Amino acid sequence: MADPDKVWPTGLTLAEAEEVHSYIIDGTRVFGAIALLAHILVAVSTPWLG
Amino acid sequence: MNNAKIWLVVKPTVGIPLFLSAVAISSFAVHVAVITAAPNVLYYGPDRPESAEVDTTSLDPAESVAKAAKVAGAPLGLGEGAEVLITMPDGTTARAILQAPTTVVSMRPPDTLLLEH
Repeated sequence: MADPDKVWPTGLTLAEAEEVHSYIIDGTRVFGAIALLAHILVAVSTPWLG
Repeated sequence: MNNAKIWLVVKPTVGIPLFLSAVAISSFAVHVAVITAAPNVLYYGPDRPESAEVDTTSLDPAESVAKAAKVAGAPLGLGEGAEVLITMPDGTTARAILQAPTTVVSMRPPDTLLLEH
């Protein structure tokens, strides 16, 4: 792992893996923010949380 | 943490669709479970028909108990004098007596409440 240009079995280098992962993490955070907003709306409009 | 290294051993062309499918399936399962456990959740929201029109300030507890006892042996269909528990729009509950002409106050889905009048 000391070689930054090493191509791993999946065909990615470490930099490419980190780039892909950053996209996935950003997408997950956006999904989480929308889900949080939806849960807040449901909690306000139903007796779910009193 | 360096979770990005997962993509060095799992192909993103496999792992990303797998991840998205898992999110979609689990989200669908949770929606189904919530709606199955409490179908009336579909009836909340800004466009919900306001059906709680009973004036609860005039309820006489003794009278309601007497009328509830009177219909205790009645068949399943709810008729006049039956005591029901209603849920007001703000979530509080109240007991109401059905009176003719039939005033239906219910937060349940319509097909679970038999209307005879």
